Amino acid sequence: METSKRKSNYRPIIVVSLISLIVCGLFFPLLVTGIAQALFPYQANGELRQLDGRNVGSELIAQSFNSSEFFQPRLANESASGVDPDITQADALSQIPGISNATGGRVSVSALTSIVDSNVEGTFWIFGSPYVDVLNLNLILINDYPSVYQNFTG
Amino acid sequence: MITLPEFLSVALILGASLFLAWLTAPYLVRVYKRVPGRLDRVLNPVEKGVYKLAGVDEEHRMGWKEYFLAGLCVNIVQMVIAYLILVFQGSLPLNPQGFPGLSWDLAFNTVISFGTNTNLQHYAGEVTLSYLSQMTAIQFLQFTSAATGICMGVAMVRGFIVGSKDMGNFYVDFVRTLTRILIPFCLVAAVVLVALGVPQTLSGYTTVTTVEGASRSILVGPVASLVSIMQLGTNGGGYYGANAAYPFMNPSPLSDVFEIGLMLLLPTALIFVFGELLGKKRETRPILIGAYGLFIIDLGIAFIPNAPAVGQGIETRIGGFMSVFWTVVTTAVTTGSVNTTLSAMHPLVILAAFMGMLIQSTPGGKGVGLMYMVMYIVITVFIVGLMSGRTPEYLGIKITSRDVKLVMLAFLIHPIIILIPTVLAYASGAAAAIGVNGAPIGFTQILYEFTSAASNNGSDFLGTAANTPFFNVATAVVIFLGRYGPIAILMALGGSMIGRARTAVSGLRTDSITFSLVLIGSILILVVLTFFPFLVLGPIQSYFQGSVNGFG
Repeated sequence: METSKRKSNYRPIIVVSLISLIVCGLFFPLLVTGIAQALFPYQANGELRQLDGRNVGSELIAQSFNSSEFFQPRLANESASGVDPDITQADALSQIPGISNATGGRVSVSALTSIVDSNVEGTFWIFGSPYVDVLNLNLILINDYPSVYQNFTG
Repeated sequence: MITLPEFLSVALILGASLFLAWLTAPYLVRVYKRVPGRLDRVLNPVEKGVYKLAGVDEEHRMGWKEYFLAGLCVNIVQMVIAYLILVFQGSLPLNPQGFPGLSWDLAFNTVISFGTNTNLQHYAGEVTLSYLSQMTAIQFLQFTSAATGICMGVAMVRGFIVGSKDMGNFYVDFVRTLTRILIPFCLVAAVVLVALGVPQTLSGYTTVTTVEGASRSILVGPVASLVSIMQLGTNGGGYYGANAAYPFMNPSPLSDVFEIGLMLLLPTALIFVFGELLGKKRETRPILIGAYGLFIIDLGIAFIPNAPAVGQGIETRIGGFMSVFWTVVTTAVTTGSVNTTLSAMHPLVILAAFMGMLIQSTPGGKGVGLMYMVMYIVITVFIVGLMSGRTPEYLGIKITSRDVKLVMLAFLIHPIIILIPTVLAYASGAAAAIGVNGAPIGFTQILYEFTSAASNNGSDFLGTAANTPFFNVATAVVIFLGRYGPIAILMALGGSMIGRARTAVSGLRTDSITFSLVLIGSILILVVLTFFPFLVLGPIQSYFQGSVNGFG
């Protein structure tokens, strides 16, 4: 009597565990993947940016720029993630004279300032403080000044 | 200090969360009272199919022991399944990066940690776990541990309902929590997260050639589905080692606010569920005032120093202020996800984080935070009874000496499993072995590790550095006892309320403002008295030495 009662207790434990594994561990993430890929493929695949048809990186993941003609991201060990893709608007503005010099003045300070100011992200209503995405800024530079940045295209 | 826009943004987020929680609560009540609804047409056949397959008798009612043991056994079986997946992931599918299986002690720590809603992580997921492991070990346990916590909380409340005869049926509650709450809510949240920039793909890490020609891996995966349950289920374990500081888990200030709201929703909603299930909405009042009153005190402590500027350990898009706010929220609801480096936080912010984890009901993890608050209420009723010379009673039920013994036992588990292992970590040399000394900052890190483990929070300073057999096994044991010990005792308390005589309420009414304030006071005194010497050796000493963060 006792054993038969115990035996019947195992079944719900095992079956409920297995069904929840299939539903929560497989069905749910696969369903979300399907919806995400159908509705928001750009975000779902990591916000990949392109240059001349090739993927050059994610807008959300910092990449290093060795050339001083580009805006520079933060050093990897400065941020919490090590891949902070953004710099503050103030940081970007402070880099402008150096970048303009490195291009031999072919990209003017005022042009750089307007590129930074028109690409500020991060504020909505009372939340956030202004920042800019480094890869985004540098891709704009390459696009707007092909002759200055010809080493990086084609 | 806090600026006006900062104050407004905090007030707005908390206000919106309270409002949404209040809107959600009646739906949750209908789920647990099994009130027929519009979703039944779709979900009833699914649920009945599960019950049939599992041999669950829907109408069977359980006492507290049977209910608790069913939950415990289901959790253990789920942990075993996840353990096998982690250890053998190297030979299993959906492993495009070819990661090998985990060591036994890391897998053991990980499944106990996630199976109990703790999510302390001694690994960095992006270089350790296959897609299959992230889905069928991590996300799976995040769903089931969250569901278990809510079920236990609801079941305990059932014991207090006038005329109740049982605690409900664990399997039915568990299945309905998944089908009617967690999965649909998470589905909406995950799609919103993808729209905000969180990846969701199974196609493997993408290799790109950067603008300057370097080769680089972009570490994408099924991230949004994980973040949805990690936040909504107050789990906190991240896809990446850097957790919600990693841009793919939290891409913008908007996603940051959304994710904060997600973790506040269910713990706050359950406060309203408490009164509605009891049929005495006013009894929600002391819990709401107690939980949010203490939460606001924690925020007040954390906002005394200036929030850090964008600098070491702070993400640009998130900023110092929202890093501090998140750190307090994530410990107040025992989520444990982080959007910053804890070392970047001021000692007073860390002190506020400790308060959240030690009190555990500000408002605490969903379900369990509510159980702890009932525990504090019973203790407070007892203290007030002693002071006024009246028989202590709660909801018209006389509080007996057995009840007081139970709640004191539940309360004492915490100091024992936090303080003893902290001392052991030093005495055994395990702390020194990972380069942590006994100076205030080092001591804070070790004390935080075990506090986070015991309160099933999961945030930590040590991260992958704690991937040693000592810390893996010690924290796993602490996590397990910290989860199931108090739950078992408080379920016993709830179960013992069934069939007790009720009297008309005399003495101090528990639904009064006065009682709510006494409750806040007694919680503060209890927790502060218990842990004060240890907090002095850690964050308080750091503060008086003039540290502005934990970088040394």
